[in-house]
Amino acid sequence: MTESNNSENYVEVAGAKIHLLKSGSGTAILSLHSIEGNLGWLPYLDALTQSACVYAPTHPGYGSSERPEWLESISDLARFYLWMLQELGLDKVHLIGGFMGGWIAAEMAVMCPQALHSLTLIGTAGVRPDEGEIADIFLLGEEGTTELAIGDSDLLKSAVEAEDAIVRIRGREMTTRLCWKPYMHDPSLIHLLPRVEAPTLVVWGENDRIVPVSAGKRIAEAVPNVRLEVIAGAGHLPHIEKPQEVIPLLHQHVGLPR
Amino acid sequence: MFLMRFTERAYYHYTEEDVRNSYRSAVRLTFPNSYFDTAKASHMYNYYLDEYEYCEEVGFDGLMLNEHHNTPTCMGAAMNLEAAILARTTKKPKIVLLGNPLPIQENPIRMAEELAEIDLISQGRLVSGFVRGTGVESWATNTNPVHNRDRFQEAHDLIVKTWTTPGPFRWDGKHYEFRVVNPFVRPLQEPHPPVWVPGSASPETMMWAAQRHYPYVFLEADPDVVGDAKRIYADAANEVGYEPGPQNFGYLFRVHVQDTDEKAYEVGKGFLSGNAGVGRVPMPPEYMNPPGYSSIEGRRRLANINLRPDRLVGGVDSAGYDRVVQLNRIVVGNPDTVIKKLREVLSVVRPGILAVWTNDGSISHEDTMRCLRLMKDEVLPALRELGKELELPGPFEVDP
Repeated sequence: MTESNNSENYVEVAGAKIHLLKSGSGTAILSLHSIEGNLGWLPYLDALTQSACVYAPTHPGYGSSERPEWLESISDLARFYLWMLQELGLDKVHLIGGFMGGWIAAEMAVMCPQALHSLTLIGTAGVRPDEGEIADIFLLGEEGTTELAIGDSDLLKSAVEAEDAIVRIRGREMTTRLCWKPYMHDPSLIHLLPRVEAPTLVVWGENDRIVPVSAGKRIAEAVPNVRLEVIAGAGHLPHIEKPQEVIPLLHQHVGLPR
Repeated sequence: MFLMRFTERAYYHYTEEDVRNSYRSAVRLTFPNSYFDTAKASHMYNYYLDEYEYCEEVGFDGLMLNEHHNTPTCMGAAMNLEAAILARTTKKPKIVLLGNPLPIQENPIRMAEELAEIDLISQGRLVSGFVRGTGVESWATNTNPVHNRDRFQEAHDLIVKTWTTPGPFRWDGKHYEFRVVNPFVRPLQEPHPPVWVPGSASPETMMWAAQRHYPYVFLEADPDVVGDAKRIYADAANEVGYEPGPQNFGYLFRVHVQDTDEKAYEVGKGFLSGNAGVGRVPMPPEYMNPPGYSSIEGRRRLANINLRPDRLVGGVDSAGYDRVVQLNRIVVGNPDTVIKKLREVLSVVRPGILAVWTNDGSISHEDTMRCLRLMKDEVLPALRELGKELELPGPFEVDP
């Protein structure tokens, strides 16, 4: 981690105070967390801070970030983050997100293609798969979801378990607010993806038990400038399960030295 | 005292094994409906209705129904239909719906219409209770649990306005929008059918009911908790300028009478396979309480309200039968025993509305009918006297 440029503070967007982690210097990367909340500098993210400036905000309604009362959907959240970029004075960023974070990133990309240098979607939600279905994380409950998503990843398990109980409940409530119906997807998104101009990397675990890889293939067919990387032996979180394979892909895609 | 009779109309032709072998071992929501034997159920709906009809002869002031979804523990999946039948086949008792789950309604105007029809057909005998529903109701109807309380309140406001404000008008709410609210069918009772609110002592709901003069019916709660909870209601009532009395409170609990204490004790065990289902297998917590169903903000606001802990950890459903009977959470016995125990409970809880949950779970139709006959001949007359002696007026005697 580049200690000198590491900061943790709050930015105000739409009247809400948003928790923001920032580290590194260079080209700007906006990393959007998924349903488990902002878990900080996990190795794949930390690796990026060595040659880029990574912004990792905590979504409204998660952790210590406030939620504007009107914010009810993933597309609201995408608009909210485009506003945040404005507040931060960032005209163009590399966007990275997994699962729900990827869905937010994809919505931002179709709303404002010119705000992106590149787009990276990891096991993303947002598009209904042709084959199979997105596992119902609500019905599975926290334990069932953890088992399907995390499997044996002690790293993520301990990161999630370290969170305060109230923060976790609040996060789950916010995820429910955002993703309950339509469940984990936006029916229009697939039709808007051809609009994405930025180079797009779609990363998927071969054995993703939350979002079947067929969703990744569907996305890869819709986005013009795209590369699909299916990581053998990985599940829902290839960036955490197989960092040695995924980190170089991210570096290459964002144009950083490997 | 207003006396009403209740049963959940349980379907019980399945085994604990069936539940344990089902998805997440849950008796509600995901328990496969292939276990529903339609021939048996057809028979059951009819005898459950027979029992309610007989309750008019027994002398009950009200016939209480409820509604749940995706569960064998309550066959009242479309309670208003049963209510409509009883509206026509009975003449005197109130038809007390406790209650219609409002948040799961996509069209509250249709709900207003159904209830108006029941009120009209029954010639003004409807008591229209409203509830948030359990989490299972949200799952079963795919209603976002985060909006549960908001939708409950908005649907309520819309239904009451629909009943009381001449149409046509337009409704621009957060969860509901209607261009032309003008259902031609309006209820008979003025200004609208009485609204009662049943629940498990959630402070937010009690305060909401108190602010509107709606009687609050405690569902099989610990008498000590009821004591605390009544104060929460009373504080909210005081704030809007009135002092609540017994007419503002109801109490539902299980009461089963047989000719002897021994028989009643044995038959009463059937209650245990009632609302927890056969085998009483614990449900996955998020089925009853999905994320967002109880808001964190609400919990924080209410953190300073301390209700005494229930003496039965886990409530009636997970405590042992003897303990439940010992604490009068289920009253079983011969008529004398039951009257004696009812006196103990009523003296503490002091409700103006008593909901007698006469049977549930695997208690047979025959045992239920015997129970109802004994209620008619011995228990109800004594309860009437007890109500007078303890000065427990119901909401039709004193305005709540």
